[in-house]
Amino acid sequence: MASSSYHLREALTSLKRGGASNALAIATIALALFVFGAFLLVTASLDRVMSGWSASAEMSVYLRDDATADQRQAIEAALGGNRLVERRDFVSKAEAARRFRRDFPDLSAAADSLATNPLPASYELRLRANEVVAAADVERLARSVAQLAGVSDVRYDRQWLDRLARVVGALRLVGFALAAALAIAAGLTAAAVVRLAMAGRQDEVEIMSLVGAPFGAIRGPFIVEGVLMGGMGAVIALVLLRVAYQIARARLVADIPGLDAGTVAFLSPLALVAIVGGGVVVGCVGGLIATRAVR
Amino acid sequence: MIETDQLSKLYGRGVYALRDVSVKVGRGDFVFLTGPSGAGKSTFLRLALCQDRPSSGTIHVARRNLALLKRRQIQAYRRTVGFVFQDFKLIARKTVLENVSFVPLVLGHASVQQSRRAFQVLKWVGLQHRMNAYPEELSGGEQQRVAIARALVNDPVLILADEPTGNLDPDLSFEIMNLFREINARGTTVVVATHDRELIRRVGRRTLALDHGRIVDGG
Repeated sequence: MASSSYHLREALTSLKRGGASNALAIATIALALFVFGAFLLVTASLDRVMSGWSASAEMSVYLRDDATADQRQAIEAALGGNRLVERRDFVSKAEAARRFRRDFPDLSAAADSLATNPLPASYELRLRANEVVAAADVERLARSVAQLAGVSDVRYDRQWLDRLARVVGALRLVGFALAAALAIAAGLTAAAVVRLAMAGRQDEVEIMSLVGAPFGAIRGPFIVEGVLMGGMGAVIALVLLRVAYQIARARLVADIPGLDAGTVAFLSPLALVAIVGGGVVVGCVGGLIATRAVR
Repeated sequence: MIETDQLSKLYGRGVYALRDVSVKVGRGDFVFLTGPSGAGKSTFLRLALCQDRPSSGTIHVARRNLALLKRRQIQAYRRTVGFVFQDFKLIARKTVLENVSFVPLVLGHASVQQSRRAFQVLKWVGLQHRMNAYPEELSGGEQQRVAIARALVNDPVLILADEPTGNLDPDLSFEIMNLFREINARGTTVVVATHDRELIRRVGRRTLALDHGRIVDGG
């Protein structure tokens, strides 16, 4: 079998001679991996955001204005004995009004003009972290608390967090499907380009076949060429992803108050390896497809 | 070395390129295959090089039934055979030395051996001084000598040559034939397909004449 340095040397020579067609294949692979990486980046960041929000998920139990002390005691007893509730804070009507003025200073004058304070007193509940608490249990708690006397309404953050999680899941699926479709297109483009390279070196292929070169020696340089194209596409995709990430992070952190820069982190080392590996695999498959007729 | 029995090759529309050819070529023989264009000379060599499969009959080379060889076995078999074509089949972007050392290179021989052996055979065909030239810088005769050097570099037991002098003038043709005679003198079996009867007469070796796919003389 010819040495790997021979395969590499021949592949590099062919890459240099390939020009625009090689650039097209590399760009297609880069595009597929960019899309794949972008979806990984977005969904991983959303996962982290949701994880943070889930950890601090709250349930608000709003009280009727006419709730009696006995009813409040019964509510507190019900909440205090529930294993899902990690912490319970009472927010009086006055405290609610103060928070309103703090959070919405533009509307504080309007609130002051009202004869009575319309904001209800409430219990703010900090629930235990997601891993421990099943969504169904929390639903059950919300329903049972809503039926207690003196309670006017129960609002639960996780309802929309769960919906958001489903959206992120769907987004991830769409991203993978899109990236898979692009990867197939990239593999076929790489195959077409490698086949072009083979056609350009048909004399060598024929001579190698006639002298009895092992099939690995004949196909090797072309498969290595595909692998190199895939690797180059992956590196280009990673560079573009890094640039896009820097721009997007700067804007998001500036535009969304309270968004931690660490939440919008770049791809994990595992994801980076997956992208480079994906590029290599796509290029390799392209090379294998192109050379399958060698016999 | 080569033994065929009722060997036939049928191409589309019922046209036989070879029909019921039964011949024997002994080890160390030098044999000409001759006949007009379309007689079946090239088809015989293609079958002997496993570029085609027989439609019927058998062809054995060095006791191998070529029709039964699997893909990998064909490659192993071809390593024992050298070939020379009319159009030389040299790689334009490689130098003379690279064209010859290309064979041991792709067969995985050590690089020192590749160069040494390639230089040896180039010296033998008298082209060591042109080893850094590219094929386009060589005359037709020189290019064919490079092709012969490439055929020899792997020490084949059999050389198959298809119209090796087709693009050369009579003097160069005779020079190339002398090389084949020298190769044969070292024990290598040589089969040369040519329609040049004058050349065959000058060299004076056994001749198998083909016409319309059949052996008509020397079988």
